[in-house]
Amino acid sequence: MKRFTHPILLSCYSTVLFFLMVVGILHISCDSFVEADSPQSQLPSEAVFENYATASAAITDIYAKMRDRGMLTGQSSGISYQLGSYCDELDYYGSPTAAAAAFNTNALLPSNNLVQDYWSVAYNQIYAANSVLERLETSTALSEEQITQLQGEAYFIRAMVHFYLTNLFGEIPYIKTTDYRLNSRAPKVTVKEVYSFTIHDLEQAATLLEKDYLRAERTRPNRYAVLALLSRVYLYDEKWAEAANAASVLLNATELYTLQSDLKRVFLKESKETIWQQQPSIAGKNTDQAASFIFFTVPPPSAALTAEFINSFASTDLRKSNWTGSMANASSTWYYTYKFKEFYNTPVSKEYPVVLRLAEQYLIRAEARAQQGDLISSKEDLNRIRQRAGLAQALASSKEELLQAILEERKLELFSEYGHRFFDLKRNGQLDQALSTLKPGWNTTDRLFPLPQNEINLNPTLLPQNDGY
Amino acid sequence: MALCSATKLEQRTLANQMSISLTNLNIMNYSSFYKDGKTLYCIIFSCLLLSFSTSFAGNVNRKPHVFPQEIKIQGTVTDGHAPLPGVSITVKSRSNTTAITDYNGQYAIYAAPKDTLVVSFIGFKKVLMPVLGRRTIDIKLEYDTSTLQEVKVNAGYYSVKESERTGSIARITAKDIETQPVTNVLATMQGRMAGVAITQTTGMPGGGFDIKIRGQNSLRSDANAPLYIIDGVPYASDPIGYSQTSTPFPTISSPLNSIDPSSIESIEVLKDADATSIYGSRGANGVVLITTKKGHKGKTMFFVNASTGASSVTRFAELMNTEQYLSMRRQAFANDGITTYPPSAFDINGTWDQDRYTDWQKTLTGRTALTTLFNAGVQGGSDQTQFLLNASSSKQTTVFPGEFTYNKTGVQLNVTHASTDDRFKLTVNTGYNLQNNNQPAADFTYNARYLAPNSPELYNEDGSLNWAGNTWLNPLRTLGATFRAKTKDLITSAVVSYELLNGLQFKTNLGYSDLNHVETRISPSTIYNPVANITSANSSLFVAETQRNSWIVEPQLSYDKTFDKSKVSIILGSTFQDQTSTSIAQSGTGFSSNSLIYNLASASTSRTLFSDKIQYRYQAFFGRINYSFNERYIINLTGRRDGSSRFGPENQFANFGAVGAAWLFSKEKFISGSNIISFGKLRASFGTTGSDKIGDYQYMDTYTSTGVLYDGNVGLQPSRLYNPDFGWEVNKKLEAAIEMGFFKDRIFLTAAWYQNRSSNQLVGIPMAATTGFNSIQANLDALVQNRGLEFTVRTENFKGNNFSWTTNFNISSNRNKLLEFPNLQGSSYSQTYRMGQPLSLQLLYQLESVDPQTGLYRFTDLNSDGKITNPDDKQIIIDMTPTYFGGLQNQLVYKAWTLDFLFQFVKQKNRNATLDPAGQMANQPVRFLDSWTQVGDDAQYQRYTAGYNSAAVTNAYLFNSSTASVTDASFVRLKNIALSWKIPLNLHAVQCNLTVQGQNLLTFAKYKDGDPEFTTYGYLPPLKTVTAGIQFNF
Repeated sequence: MKRFTHPILLSCYSTVLFFLMVVGILHISCDSFVEADSPQSQLPSEAVFENYATASAAITDIYAKMRDRGMLTGQSSGISYQLGSYCDELDYYGSPTAAAAAFNTNALLPSNNLVQDYWSVAYNQIYAANSVLERLETSTALSEEQITQLQGEAYFIRAMVHFYLTNLFGEIPYIKTTDYRLNSRAPKVTVKEVYSFTIHDLEQAATLLEKDYLRAERTRPNRYAVLALLSRVYLYDEKWAEAANAASVLLNATELYTLQSDLKRVFLKESKETIWQQQPSIAGKNTDQAASFIFFTVPPPSAALTAEFINSFASTDLRKSNWTGSMANASSTWYYTYKFKEFYNTPVSKEYPVVLRLAEQYLIRAEARAQQGDLISSKEDLNRIRQRAGLAQALASSKEELLQAILEERKLELFSEYGHRFFDLKRNGQLDQALSTLKPGWNTTDRLFPLPQNEINLNPTLLPQNDGY
Repeated sequence: MALCSATKLEQRTLANQMSISLTNLNIMNYSSFYKDGKTLYCIIFSCLLLSFSTSFAGNVNRKPHVFPQEIKIQGTVTDGHAPLPGVSITVKSRSNTTAITDYNGQYAIYAAPKDTLVVSFIGFKKVLMPVLGRRTIDIKLEYDTSTLQEVKVNAGYYSVKESERTGSIARITAKDIETQPVTNVLATMQGRMAGVAITQTTGMPGGGFDIKIRGQNSLRSDANAPLYIIDGVPYASDPIGYSQTSTPFPTISSPLNSIDPSSIESIEVLKDADATSIYGSRGANGVVLITTKKGHKGKTMFFVNASTGASSVTRFAELMNTEQYLSMRRQAFANDGITTYPPSAFDINGTWDQDRYTDWQKTLTGRTALTTLFNAGVQGGSDQTQFLLNASSSKQTTVFPGEFTYNKTGVQLNVTHASTDDRFKLTVNTGYNLQNNNQPAADFTYNARYLAPNSPELYNEDGSLNWAGNTWLNPLRTLGATFRAKTKDLITSAVVSYELLNGLQFKTNLGYSDLNHVETRISPSTIYNPVANITSANSSLFVAETQRNSWIVEPQLSYDKTFDKSKVSIILGSTFQDQTSTSIAQSGTGFSSNSLIYNLASASTSRTLFSDKIQYRYQAFFGRINYSFNERYIINLTGRRDGSSRFGPENQFANFGAVGAAWLFSKEKFISGSNIISFGKLRASFGTTGSDKIGDYQYMDTYTSTGVLYDGNVGLQPSRLYNPDFGWEVNKKLEAAIEMGFFKDRIFLTAAWYQNRSSNQLVGIPMAATTGFNSIQANLDALVQNRGLEFTVRTENFKGNNFSWTTNFNISSNRNKLLEFPNLQGSSYSQTYRMGQPLSLQLLYQLESVDPQTGLYRFTDLNSDGKITNPDDKQIIIDMTPTYFGGLQNQLVYKAWTLDFLFQFVKQKNRNATLDPAGQMANQPVRFLDSWTQVGDDAQYQRYTAGYNSAAVTNAYLFNSSTASVTDASFVRLKNIALSWKIPLNLHAVQCNLTVQGQNLLTFAKYKDGDPEFTTYGYLPPLKTVTAGIQFNF
């Protein structure tokens, strides 16, 4: 050690060390040190749209999100369940403090989590669709067909989500860009305008998409799926002729679509009645709808069909025996929606959530024709549905009676499917009449949901709040 | 060779100032070191060194070591009445001869008869004792309170004498930590440090703490954590769990639980710019420096500490009993005009026994949890090498039903070595900690507060869970749904230093940390009523694993030099840090048997919910220049240039710096003779720090893989709203403080005033959902100010031979204010913040009273539009910042007895229990008995409703967002009490203490809804703990 204490030599060592250190620092201290590796789970956005598989993944992920979250999920948080409970289909047995309880008592608050979720999840899906549309414009690697098909799907998604939003919330912003500077202050537009934008988007989608399905399982929308939604929007927008025409295109496409005569088979994956269904997240999984509605214990853990609803089936109506199930104890019987029957996973999935199906198109055309005064053709369409349910021909003789019969038929045919019942009563102005006696908490203003409080805070151009909140 | 030497000789003659010694001439013997064509290097280096040598070489000379005949000297060191163990005795001018006293204060040392012994011990005056040929020398040391000013305080890259520091640094040491029967390092700091506000978020073992040093700087609620440094290695405190698995806690699992309090020597918290600017971008929220224990030279000593005790909930909420509850329910239905109770109202429609009463808080959270803490180790070493090995283990059970435990085990090894010439030094620290936590997946506290008091029995007679005919969800069903976490954490660091020349030191900090955390949560089919026939095909498993490792290299040069009255210290250094985190979260459902539930491969369907690997890179250059003149005037300059991978290429680098100054006015002539003032210092600092806490990769425009399948494709979603242009958040800190000691420092005061201003706020600016997202990352041109005062007082109230009493007191008050916010009214924060108000404000409705006519709450209709609406009427501002907080600690020593206790106090507001409308099927605080029942009632609370009166329901929710929802939650808590008794053993080198320790034993508060310390209501409150233990050293 003595050697190290020698001053000159020590200095030698010191200088070497110092020199090495300086060189070392200069060597590694260039700016590149702070360049981190890219995250494994992320892909630069431009790269996503330079490859068909990843570009498709950007679209199909929106379907997965529609299936799993927000308004259109089959889970109990979706509108199939919640609007059933909000309207006259379901009695609620779950926790009185859950966000869902307020749906049943029609006591929604602007702070309700589910309401907020419907709103924000929907606009996130719309953003994703707009992002696809904008980025496809600059994509160079995809073929023309690939681009048109993805664009068509994006327009379809954008239209569909806005359509449901406006039916829940009334006036809403219609979002067509990803620019947050515009979107954060986006103003509301009237329901009429929403319909006209929706129709415009769907018309574009209809020209962009092919008639043939991309997947035999009908999990990607084709031109007919667009028309199926379009006919509904026309109907809601009271454009009777257009509604009837759009429905006719579908009803005439018999090579693809026919009514399933056996009610038990209507919701099977292979059903010819299906226009668009969603693929489950996991092979072997069936629908969230089945898991939401079916129960094995009584009193039911969360919800059961109301007695009024069950009693409105005629005794011969096959839909009661095929599409509802029941559980009883010593004193009472409770009924549940049994359209989707597979509660558990199966080795191969048997049922997919069906979003659009042919029966609705008959009822749309029936209603549009009745509105146009064509009672005979209207009745023909209505009777197709009644006949399948094992019911006699409709008796209605006047336009009003016929419209009422169609409304009643829609109730029994489309129950527990994406809030049809609530929307039908609403657009026919019959909500108060149907619900005020049945539901003690019902107020006329409950026809619209409250705009989420948080959204009003963040974007005051959404004011005024809907009436009653 | 010859050339080399010749050149040197030549140069040496030129440098005739250089001292020439015999050893210098030996250079020829060593020049062979540079053989084989290294001559050129030799020349260059020689020239270089000779150009330095005039100024340095003179000091390098060493006195020749002479060892005349030595004798053995023995004796005892005492403080006048008791022996002092651990006192160091050296021989003057021979630093390598040292002895340490044993537990009986005895020492033995070899010295020459003419030598002088130097006896020193922290807290006592140094004694110089000439040997004078004696063989037995007993030494009495005198207490020296001012030596507390001599303690070296760790400031991170350097340490500084307490009296000379220019920055604001709070400190606790092992002495404060060891009295506390806790396992979390943040718990040990509560109430003991001025300016450091710590709130326990849950009493569940393994849960977390919220820490704010001098208030909230950032608008981002998750960006206010300080920087943690353990033995020089930054320790990432970012959460390591996953939302689907960390369900028992209000926040996702934090890695800080890994740190073992028994291994800590001291914790320093750096607060002002002077102390934190050298940490640049990461110093904005303060820096917590944790130094682990080191070995001391001397006899090899073994130590064992063991304690065991019991814990229970501090306070329960005051809830209704069955009679009160049922009368509320009946009244609720009566109020709503409902005479036939609905079938689902099991509590009053006759389904459930209406005479039953269960105190659910006691049943579900009222058990006594057991705590065992144990640590043992050995330390010792020679003059050159010292070591310390400590192993610790703790076990805690819970207050919940069922068998749940939290186990923690750790090993820590520290080795320090110095070469005989003291130039080369090496310190290696390695700590390895294991945690094994097994808890219920859901905190029972929520159930305990909300269950109807006449809910059915938990168990049937046969011992099975009682489902009462499917009329309730038995709270114990979730016992089988467990949360398990295993954390392994390795932190190792090394400091290598070499004194190149006198005063010039090259040092490198090296650090590596590796954390592995696996969390699982199971949801077995047994949580469902067996009647439902739900089988293990519906059982599910969630697994989340996080691996995080980081390395750091910090080469530094430091130079210290004293010229006459001036003293200069310079540090130059750089930092290279890399942190890589890999995380994966998976779920599995459908098992053939619940016994296989922990095996993901046995799940019929499994999914990867999340999987990612992210890298964080950080680089910096830093420096410090400290100049002091005449030990009175001190100036300290620090600076740092930082680069972070968290920003886009244009914004990666930024500069931070600070200036601090101190004036020790007590050394000036006009005071130095004073009998009253023994110490006086004024100090001030100003500087900038920053923050890059925004998460990684946020500036990139990407799509993220969702892991969700559709159409045979795993989805891709837009990751975020894209903004590449955000940069560093800047925090400007200003501080002024005075420190004064009176009567030989028996009274010591510090008072500090500070003002921190954060600008260029790095936030996820909340966005309306119509943008597709909730927020966008950006720099917001807002200015947040924290301004406050901190006082500490230390007094020695009594000092006698048998009895002494010291008191420490600290109190802090912080005022937070939003000073600037461009276009706040038109921004997305318009209903979150107010100009000139603190960030922690709440905007609330003003509750007026209960309308005696309608029985409904009346709120102030601020805009007089006849409706109570948000946001127009929700404008009453309540400040939730604690008004002040602090602690009062006393230590009393009487002979072998020591009593230490700490009262923590917080003056604050907090939320009442967030309640559903009273009258629904959920229990309520007993205060709700004062509710309106009939016209004319003047009640505190509105009419009950079973949920059918929508006006009452709406008003009940408005009430939760009204001024009535906030209440005084100030408290004074006996945070810690420790009594220890040193057993008077007459054994050589053996010491034994018996201790009784208590944590959170008493809480005084007006707050009614449970314990007042929480961040989110509804989680298990902090527990009170009593332990008894033994400490054994030999």
